[in-house]
Order: sequence, then structure tokens, then C-alpha cells
Amino acid sequence: MTAPRIKSEDKPLVIAAGFTLVILLIGTGYTLSTQGTAPLLQPTYLLQQLQIGSFLGICAAGLMLVILTGHIDLSIPATLTGAAMIGTAIGGPWAIPAALAFGLIVGLINGAGTAVLRVPSMIFTLGMDTVLRGVTVAQTGGFAPQDQATPLMLALAKDRFLGIPVALYVWAAVSVLIAFLLARTAFGRSLYAIGTRERVAYLSGIRTRPVIVGAFVASSLCAALAGVMLAGYSAKAYQGMGNAYLLPAIAAVVLGGTNVLGGSGRYVGTLIGVILIVLLNSVLSIMQMPEALRQIIYGVVIVVMLLIYGRGDRETG
Amino acid sequence: MTTPIIDLRGISKSYAGIRALEGVDFAAQRGSVHAILGENGAGKSTLIKIISGVVQPDAGEMRLKGQPVRFSTPSAATAQGVVCMFQELSLIPDLSVADNISIAAPPRRFGLIDRKAQLSRAAELLARVRCEDVDPRTLVRDLSLSRRQMVEIAKALGRGPQVLILDEATSALTAQDVQTVYDLLGKLTGEGVTTLFISHRMHEVEALCDRLSVFRNGRHIETFAKGERTDAEIVRLMIGRDVTAKYPPKPAPVVRPPVLKAEGLEWESALKGVSLSLGKGEILGVGGLDGQGQKELLLALFGVLKGVRGKVELGGRGLPSSPVDAKTGQPRVALIPEDRKTEGLMLPMSIADNLVTAAFDRITRSGVINPARLDAAVQDGIARLQIKVGSVTDAVRTLSGGNQQKVVIAKWLMTEPDIILMNDPTRGIDVGTKQEIFRMMRDLADGGKSILFYSSDYAELIGCADRVIVLYDGRVVRELEGSTITEEAIVGASLNIGTAA
Repeated sequence: MTAPRIKSEDKPLVIAAGFTLVILLIGTGYTLSTQGTAPLLQPTYLLQQLQIGSFLGICAAGLMLVILTGHIDLSIPATLTGAAMIGTAIGGPWAIPAALAFGLIVGLINGAGTAVLRVPSMIFTLGMDTVLRGVTVAQTGGFAPQDQATPLMLALAKDRFLGIPVALYVWAAVSVLIAFLLARTAFGRSLYAIGTRERVAYLSGIRTRPVIVGAFVASSLCAALAGVMLAGYSAKAYQGMGNAYLLPAIAAVVLGGTNVLGGSGRYVGTLIGVILIVLLNSVLSIMQMPEALRQIIYGVVIVVMLLIYGRGDRETG
Repeated sequence: MTTPIIDLRGISKSYAGIRALEGVDFAAQRGSVHAILGENGAGKSTLIKIISGVVQPDAGEMRLKGQPVRFSTPSAATAQGVVCMFQELSLIPDLSVADNISIAAPPRRFGLIDRKAQLSRAAELLARVRCEDVDPRTLVRDLSLSRRQMVEIAKALGRGPQVLILDEATSALTAQDVQTVYDLLGKLTGEGVTTLFISHRMHEVEALCDRLSVFRNGRHIETFAKGERTDAEIVRLMIGRDVTAKYPPKPAPVVRPPVLKAEGLEWESALKGVSLSLGKGEILGVGGLDGQGQKELLLALFGVLKGVRGKVELGGRGLPSSPVDAKTGQPRVALIPEDRKTEGLMLPMSIADNLVTAAFDRITRSGVINPARLDAAVQDGIARLQIKVGSVTDAVRTLSGGNQQKVVIAKWLMTEPDIILMNDPTRGIDVGTKQEIFRMMRDLADGGKSILFYSSDYAELIGCADRVIVLYDGRVVRELEGSTITEEAIVGASLNIGTAA
């Protein structure tokens, strides 16, 4: 006979979801008072926003696996850009497989550096990002590449099926896959175990190295997929196209209640975190905030929300 | 009668409800080398922590040269001339010897550290411990363990001690350095310095100390001058006559086919040639004082340590190469680790998650968890050890110590191991749970499992084990069987003295 109560793990989810509603209300109130319309509540507008958000959502989904193990992947921007460039450069039916293969290789290197060579992931993936940036610049000679996205890439990013953008279906498929991995596989459980206490996981006979490598591979694959789709959305690849995705992806995962030091978090939280960030951005742009103020509000919101979550009662030592 | 330099009256201290010291009166005279003896957990460490200001007593009074004092920090104690050298080395590996020696109060010039003065001070102190060969500019991590310990002693000397506390200070020293320390202590005694000397090496105590105090179960039992008691009497004082837990009856000794044979296991400085044989259905006890290589032995057999040398026969294969190898190979090996909070459990995670951590293959099919099998496994684990839980989704940290330990054991039984390595599984748990664990161990052994059981409590070895091996300094010094497993024999072997009493 226990009263229903919110588990501490779910508290951030409830807060984030509530805050998302608050953003919607504020934005709608603003548009009603200034223009007399409520675009934020129109399905077409929301779908369009989510379509743009799907690139971020896919990046965050992969990144979440890495964060759960207590690591971080800072190479997402260059992986995304690199995959987009490889996809457009190769073209034809092999464009997307080649881009994903690129992601796979990046993930394997990140995982090997972190799990086998034991370089702190913050350093290793940052170095990886820098190297990849150099490679993309060298490949394009510093100019915008002239290659165009393939029709399939365009379709994935821009087409609609049954009135819903195809990008959302892709995001949904990735989400189902990641949620399944986390909740229902030994791999997923191992991620949580490693992030909680790697020593216990190792002494329990969990193959910690392959699991960590797997998390990095998932992250890079997701970044590569996001790159393919973003190239389709823009019809081409360009330098620095992934730069705007790293910090929002980290923020989405953490705002969704995943412990930034690893070990706990639910995928639905990451979904809410992505939606929150997408809506916050679109409300701020509807309100025609100057860019400087937007950045300030954006940053303050993230910090304040994490303060509300509390510092948690994670075991130390 | 002179005023004792250190005088404790009625000191008590508890940790989380467990009594570490109870109403202890203890005094040491100026210019004396005073040995403190006792079994593991007798309260020696707590006593010196109180004297040196690391922990504060719950009750009682401490006097230094007749004046009541209360040290709130170790540096307060150091300022009054009470200097402690702990058994865990406190040197910072990445700093130089000179930096380490003056770490708390470096010589200053214009507010900055005076490197020259620091170097010459270090050289002078090193000369006092006859380590002129150590360059004060060397990084501590480049020194051998024995040299490090000498630097530690030099560091302690640099603080101008009136009371010097040496906690297992000689455990890592080479014979030559031990002699240096002997000479040094003799000189300090002549200068009126009091030394409190904690050592598990009886011959050192005999060579160095003039008075001995025996502790047992947090109480000060007796203090006497050297020579007033024989070794056998001292051992008896240390053991006392305590009520012990009830143990399940042992089966009659039979010949058991060995499932694990190790010969000459060596690893770094912890294992120096351990040989043992574990039979099918046998509980083999591992005894000895803390830190004689028992933990390393278990870790080595579980495949955790790298670079172990020696011959191992484990059902047609050698030493496991990793915990994965240990738990999946034939015969399967499990390890109940030493510290359940950092090695056995993921405290913030749920009871169910913790229970299945080692046995994913039992609840999954090609990597995918089968919810029905997961539920069954969790319920099975809880029932098997009668773990008292509210909900299996509660964090495991909400359980009592005894139930937490049951979760660790249940987690490993889920892998259906053939050999179970247990590292002090009853540490810090209540008597009732202890008895359940002993009962379960015997049932497992009767069911054909083999158990290698290290306990810091000799009574448990006597009550549970079919045979006992006693480790001392990384070697097996005694093997006891049947009626020869007595407390006197184990304690005697632990101290590596040949008591026949």
C-alpha cells in the first residue's frame, strides 16, 4: 500500500517535461499578445521544429550511451561533418554506407583510445575532433565542397510520409533501438554497471572494454547518421556544419536526467531534453531576441535546471 | 613515579555503532619503546589515531605531560610533538623526496619555498636514517618500497617528535634498513623520545621494546615489562576467551580430489611462492594477519592480477586470465570481494540489477534480456539467501550490511560457480547473518563446491574450515588440519613464532 511517488531518478524527467510546457505557454502567450496567433500550438509548426530537432535528437541518443559509461564524446561535430562530406563526395548508392562506415571507424578509434589505451575520453575525443577537422579542411582545400547530397539523403531529411517528416521516422527508429538496447540487453545493463562503478563491473566478469568501445561506436554512428541527414536537409555538406550540435546534445542528455558522471538515466529523459532545447530555441527566435540575449538565456536555463535537479546523492570515492 | 608523557583515561570510540575502543586507560613513559599488540580489530589502529589526532574519542580524556589535550587534527598533534607514521605510506609519489619531507611546513624565504634550505634539511634528515645514497631531488615514485619507508621515517623525524608512533613501520623494510631503524630508535630513546611501536613481528617487538601492552576487542588487557610474559602467554592474552558464533558441524575428513592446485605463486612483493591445493567439496581457510598476501592470492586466482608467476592447475587449464575467463571457464570461479561497497556492489543501482550483474548469460538469449527469466533469477537469488528486501527495485544501498553481503553472495551463486573465493565475507555484519553465511558455505561444500575462505577472524576459520593455511609475508607458513586447527596454532603461525603451546 505505498502511495505513488516520483522516484528520484524520474524527478528530472518531470521537471524537464514541466519546463517544456512552460516554454510553450510563454511562447504562445507572447505570440497571442503580439500577433494574435499561436503558431507554437500548430502541428505543422511543431513538426517542422521537430524535423530540425531530429538531427540533434539522433546525436544525443548516441551520446547518451557514452555518457552513461561515465565518458564523453567531444568528437561529434567533426564526425558529423566528416560523414556528411564523405557521403556527398562518394554519392550514388554507396553514399550513406560510406558515411556510416566512417562513423564506425571513428567510434572504434575513440573506443580503443579510451578503453584500451586508457586515455581520458575528454582528451582523446577532443584530439580526434581536431584531427578530423584538419582532415576535412585538407580534403576540401578549405572551400565549400561542390558535391551535392544524393536523392536518398534529400528524402531522409526533407520528404514527408503520411504528412510526417521522414526525419522524424528515422529519429523514432533510432530512439526505439537505443531504448531497447538500454532496457532489454546485457549490453545496456553493462553500460549502467560500468558507469556506476567500473571496478565492480570488471570484478563481476563484465567485458568492460568491448562495452565501452560499443558505446563510442554507437555515438559516432549516430553522429554520422545525423551528418548524412543534415547534408540532405541543406542539400550539401559544408565546413563546420556539426559545430552547433555538441553542446546542445550534451545539454539534452543531462537535462533529461542522465548523470553526467555516468551510471543512471533513462532514454525517455533524453527525448524530453532534446524537445526542451528545440522548443527553447524556437521560442527565443519567435520572440526575436537579439542573438546575445538568446545565448545568455539558453545558458542560464541549462544551469538553473541542473541546480533544480540538485547535486544528487551519488556515492563518491 | 614520573608523570607519563602520554596518559589516556577512559577513552571510548565507536564507528557506526560498532565499538572500536571501550574505556581504555593507557600510559606510556618518557624515553620508552612501548609495543602495542593485538589481533586484527583489537583497537590498535583506533588507539593511535586518537593519540595522533586523526579521530576524536567519543568519551575519555587524554593528557600529554600531565596537561589535558584534545587534538582536533593531526597537525595539532604534530605541533605538540606527537608524530605518527602510518602503515599506509603517506608520501606523494610525484613530488621529490625533499618536497615530501618538508611538505607540511616548508622552509620559506620571502614567502616562497626556499629550495636550497629544503634540500639541505632533507639531506641532513636522510643522513640521520643513513640514507645518504638517496638524492633529495629524486621523485618518491622512483624509490623502492623500503627506501620510501625510510623517507617516511626521515619525514617523521623532521617534525621533532617527543612521541613517535610507528604503525607497522618496518613491514616493508629490508633487513639492513631494519637495523638502521633499531639503531635510530635506540638513539631517540636516549634523547628521551617515547616510541609507540605497533608490529606484528614478535621478534622485532622483543628486540626493540621495553614495555608491551596487549589489546583485545577494543579493551586494554594488560601492560607489562618485556620478559615478564612468555610468547605463549602473550598469544593467550591476545586471544582471550570470547563467546563465538555457532558453526555448522564439519564432516569427517575424507580424501578429496583436488580441483585447484597452485605451486609457487609469486606476484610483485605480495606473494612470494604460495602453494596450496583445494579439494572438491572442501572449505579451505586462509589465515594470517592482515596484509600478508591473502587478498592478492584470491585476486590472482580470479585472474585480476597481471604478471603472476607460478604453476596453477585448475581443471586442465592454468590461471584465469581475467574475471571473465574465471567465471566462464571450467571449473567456474567466483570471487566475493573484500569491500562490498566498492568492489561487490553498485550501491545506487537496484537490488535486481546488482543480483544479475555477473550472470547476464543466464537471463539473456543472444544478448537480449528475457524478462521472465530475469524475474525468476532475481527471485531465486533472494530466496536462496533469504535476503530481506522490500522491493527489488530499491537501491541496494538501502539494505543493511548483512543483507548487502547476501546480495553479493547471491550474485555470484547465480553463475553456478565450482570454486568460490571469499575475501573476509563476514566483515562488519551481524552475528545472525554470519551464522546464515556459515551454514550456506557448508551446504555449498556438501553440494560439491569448493571454497577458499579468507577471514581476519581466527574463530571463523576454526569453526568453518576443513583445513587452514596460514600466510605470513607472502608465503604459507603453516598448514593445519582437523584437531590441529586451534587458535594458538593460528596465532602462533600468524606471528611466525613457533609456539607449541
